[in-house]
Amino acid sequence: MGRIYSIGGGKGGSGKSFIAASLGILLAKQGKSVVLVDLDLGASNLHTLLGQRIPQRGLDAFIDKTTKSLEDVALSTTIPNLHLISSTKCSLEIANLFYAQKLKVINAIKNLPFNYVILDLGPGINFNTLDFFLIATEGLFVATPEPTAIENTFIFIKSIYLRKLKLALKEANMWHICQEEVAKLSKGAVKSPLDLINILVEKNLENGTAFRDLLSGLKFSLILNKFRGQVAEDLGEQLVEVCNRHLYPGFDFLGNISYDSRVYESIIARNIFIQKYPYTKTVSDLQNMARRLAGAIQQPIQIKASK
Amino acid sequence: MTKKFNDLNYYELFKIPYNASSFEVRQAYKNILAIYEESSLATYALFAEDERKTILSKIEKAFSTLIDDEKRTAYDKRLVDVGEIPKDLLTAQERQKTIPLFQANTAVTKHNNLARIRKKIKEKGKGKLASALLNRDFISGQDLKNLRESLGIELEEVFEATKISPTALEAIERDDITNLPPKIYLKSFLKSYAEVLQLDAKQLVDGYVKNVEKR
Ligand SMILES: Nc1ncnc2c1ncn2[C@@H]1O[C@H](COP(=O)(O)OP(=O)(O)OP(=O)(O)O)[C@@H](O)[C@H]1O
Ligand SMILES: [Mg+2]
Repeated sequence: MGRIYSIGGGKGGSGKSFIAASLGILLAKQGKSVVLVDLDLGASNLHTLLGQRIPQRGLDAFIDKTTKSLEDVALSTTIPNLHLISSTKCSLEIANLFYAQKLKVINAIKNLPFNYVILDLGPGINFNTLDFFLIATEGLFVATPEPTAIENTFIFIKSIYLRKLKLALKEANMWHICQEEVAKLSKGAVKSPLDLINILVEKNLENGTAFRDLLSGLKFSLILNKFRGQVAEDLGEQLVEVCNRHLYPGFDFLGNISYDSRVYESIIARNIFIQKYPYTKTVSDLQNMARRLAGAIQQPIQIKASK
Repeated sequence: MTKKFNDLNYYELFKIPYNASSFEVRQAYKNILAIYEESSLATYALFAEDERKTILSKIEKAFSTLIDDEKRTAYDKRLVDVGEIPKDLLTAQERQKTIPLFQANTAVTKHNNLARIRKKIKEKGKGKLASALLNRDFISGQDLKNLRESLGIELEEVFEATKISPTALEAIERDDITNLPPKIYLKSFLKSYAEVLQLDAKQLVDGYVKNVEKR
C-alpha cells in the first residue's frame, strides 16, 4: 500500500484540482505509479486538467457494482504511470452516497495498489468531503492568500479535526458524555479541537490522552496557491504557526505556488500546463513540492509537552 | 497536556529560550505582532474582537517585561517559584545579553566589529568556497561553519554583529533541528548571518531551509 494524499481546503476555486493533477504528473514522471481519484462527486473535472475528454468509466461502475474492483476503473492517461479514477459519470444523487457505499469506497481507496494515491476533493465541508479527506496518510490544505479563502481554510481544518474526533468518540461509545460539555461551550459550537481535548483530559476521562494521540497522528500540510509578489513571503509560515497554536499542533507549510495567468489559458485550450510551460516559476514551485512529498519520510507528529 | 494558549508563559508565547538575548526578544515580538495584529491575514476572522484584544495586550505585556532587565528577572523568579522552570535552568544558562549595554549600543563597536569581519573576508577572499556553497541545492549548517572558519571568523564575531544568541547560532551550524528557532525566526536569523558573511541572503535561506526540510 502506498501513500495517500488528500487535497482539500473548503474554498471553491482555490486550485485543488490543478494541484492534484500537477503533483500527480510530476510524481509519475519520477517513475512511481500514481492514481488520481476524483472525489468531487457531482462536479468532477480532473480529466479536463489532464487534457482529456470525459472518461468512459469511473467510480460509478464500482459503486453500482458493474465492476468488482476499484482498480479496474483506474484508467491510464496520456502520461506514463499516471492513472485516473474519474467520477464524471456519477449522477448528482450519488453525491449523497449511502453510508455503506461510502465505507466501501473508502476501503477500496485505502487498498489501491499504487505508490501514490492522490484524492481531489470538492469545496465545502459536507460529511462526504470530510470523510474522504480523512482517508489520507497526509492531508494537504490548499488556500489562496485572500481573506475569505483563509477564513474558509480555518473552518475546513477545524471541521476535519472535529469530525475525526467525533467519529473516534462515537466508536468508543463516549460521544454522549462530552456532547453535553460541548454544548456548554459557546452554545454548542466547539471553538477548536484543542478545547474539546482539554475538556476530555480535564474531566479525567480515561481516554482523553488516547484521543489526543489519535489527533496528533494526523499529518497535515498547508499549500498557498496563486501566490503573487505583493503578499508577505512568510504568510504560509505564519498560518501554520497559528494552526499549530490555536487549532491543533501537527501542521507543516509545504510552500507557495506562484500565480500564472497561463494556467487558465492552458485549461481552456486543454493543454497540460506543466508540460506546455515547464520553465515557469509556477512549475518549479510544484516541482519542489513533489520532490518534498516524494522525499519526506512519514513520521507521525510528536507533540512536545509544554510542561 | 498541551498547554492552552492562555496558559503559555511569556517565553512560550514568544517561542524563545529562557536565556534569549534582548535582540531575540525584539525579533520575536516583531514576528508575533505580525501574526496577531488586526490587519494580519494569518489570523483573518479567527478571533472575535475581544479575543484579539486580550491576545495583543498579553503580547505587549510580555514584551515590556522581557525587554526590561529588572522586570524580567522578577518574572523569571516567579516562574521558578511556581515551578514553571527549574531553578538550575536559569543559573546554568546565563542570559545572553553578553556585551554591556553601553557597548552594544554604540554604533562604533558594531561598526568596528563589522569592519574587522569585512577585512577578513577581503583578505582571505571568500570567492570560490562561497559560490560553491550557494550553488548547492541543499546548504547545511556544517557548510556554513566551514565557510566561516575558512574565513577565520569567530562565532562570537557573528554574534556581535547580528545579536543572535550563540545558542541559536550553534544550533544553526550544527543542523540541530530540535534546537533550531521556529521557522519564521530562523529565516530572519539566516538573513542576518548571510549579511555578515556577505552572501546572497535568499539563496542561503532557501538552501538551508530545503536542507532542513528534506529530513
Ligand atoms: N497557480 C495558479 N495560477 C493561476 N491560476 C490558477 C492557479 N491555480 C489554479 N488556477 C485557476 O483557478 C481556477 C480554479 O482551479 P481548480 O479548478 O483547480 O480549483 P478547485 O479548488 O479544484 O475548485 P473546486 O473547488 O471548484 O473544485 C482555474 O481556472 C485555474 O485556472
Ligand atoms: Mg476541483
